[in-house]
Amino acid sequence: MDTLAIIFESIIIGALIGFAVGAGAARMFHAPSVQGMGAFRTFGELNACEGDPLSHFSFGLGFLFNSWASVVGAGAFTQDVEHRIIPNWAAAALLWKNRNVAETLHNPKKMAFIGTVIGAVLVALMNSTAVAIPASLQAVATKVLVPAANWLINPVMPIVFWIAAIDAGERAGMWGTVLGGLAHLIMGNAVPGVVLGILIGKGVDDLGWNSITKTLLTAIIILFIGSAFFRGFDAKLLTDFHMGVPAWLIEVHKMFGSVVK
Amino acid sequence: METTETTNQQTGFWYSEWAFALFVAMISAGIFAGTHMYYVYHVGAFNDIAIVAMLQAGIEGGSYGPAAAFGASFLFARVLEGPLVGILDIGGALQTGVGIGIPAILLGMGVTAPLSSFPLALLTGAVIGLIIGAVIVLIRKFTFSENQSTFGADVMMGAGNASGRYLGPLIVISATMASIPVGIGSILGAAIFYAWKKPIAGGAVLGAMVLGALFPILTK
Repeated sequence: MDTLAIIFESIIIGALIGFAVGAGAARMFHAPSVQGMGAFRTFGELNACEGDPLSHFSFGLGFLFNSWASVVGAGAFTQDVEHRIIPNWAAAALLWKNRNVAETLHNPKKMAFIGTVIGAVLVALMNSTAVAIPASLQAVATKVLVPAANWLINPVMPIVFWIAAIDAGERAGMWGTVLGGLAHLIMGNAVPGVVLGILIGKGVDDLGWNSITKTLLTAIIILFIGSAFFRGFDAKLLTDFHMGVPAWLIEVHKMFGSVVK
Repeated sequence: METTETTNQQTGFWYSEWAFALFVAMISAGIFAGTHMYYVYHVGAFNDIAIVAMLQAGIEGGSYGPAAAFGASFLFARVLEGPLVGILDIGGALQTGVGIGIPAILLGMGVTAPLSSFPLALLTGAVIGLIIGAVIVLIRKFTFSENQSTFGADVMMGAGNASGRYLGPLIVISATMASIPVGIGSILGAAIFYAWKKPIAGGAVLGAMVLGALFPILTK
């Protein structure tokens, strides 16, 4: 009884997610003029496979074992289903027939439809199988891919984006350096900060300080302050400078449900 | 090599701003319903074990505070960041914010209906996603009205392409640290793929898998 309900619900959920992930991933290749959806790591990894279907497939496969084991063992898929498996397998399926990335991987419509199929099948299969994955394969996938992916996210991608910002001109380099450093301090990864630095630097190069760039800068400042507060960075900052955290600040954090250590 | 696409190719529904809001509504419906499945059948939550464990702590009678605060703060930061950089982070905003934070807030308030019923879960997720998508589209409308500047899109694309090239060598390095057979398999796979003029990441993964299946990594 439950199994049927699980399969039925999984197909619907997988199709919805697959459609959106496929379209969002394709739109990432047109960012920032088109709003995409995914992650910088997904973007980097999709680029890493250079439009080769076998590479996309095997990269997704490596993470499949891990996700599958995780959902069988703990009921949680890991984030890789949406970040890595669906986008890479959708890319592999499309590139199998046509090696031109501009017509396949970068096309939101095609990626959405193939993603729907892959998402529905994958989620239903993973949710309904209680058959354990060979532990040896799971161990290899975890031991090999997880560290490599983590290194890519930190420090490789921050450095590559940072250098790109520095090479893109004085203004982008300066903003990228400052915002990138702050982002690594506050958010734990420099890439969003460097990207914002390139954005504001290049925006000012092209447009000067007009209402758009001023609004951008204001939004960036709000983003950094908001992130710092919600991640408890303010309290950590005071502690690291050997100053006590005032009781009222702890209370404010409590109001938002977070506990200051 | 990638070149930045010209704007005239990016017209029509699939590239439109409001289609984005629709995509966010769809994925949020799926993610929220995934959390519903976890709540009811204990399977199918779209997040890492460690993060789902925070929600589980609340379900088991503990506090929903940590999951709610963690998820909500991620959602807030990513929704602001998304429209600025042009990529909404699925992991932080949606999988953690909509999939863990908002359910934790609802359950903490004693509202269980959206999580126990599948249709209601889909609807709740879709509405939340539509709101998030609309907020992002509006932020974009107020910041990038017309494309008078590419805002360094070409620089970011170049960096994205460049960072991707690091993955192959990183996988081989990681494999050599895992165990000798896995390392050798990964090196051979990478070399064969390189000879075939394919990106070496795929070969490195497959080689590591094949040898890892034959000679499992010894666990203590």
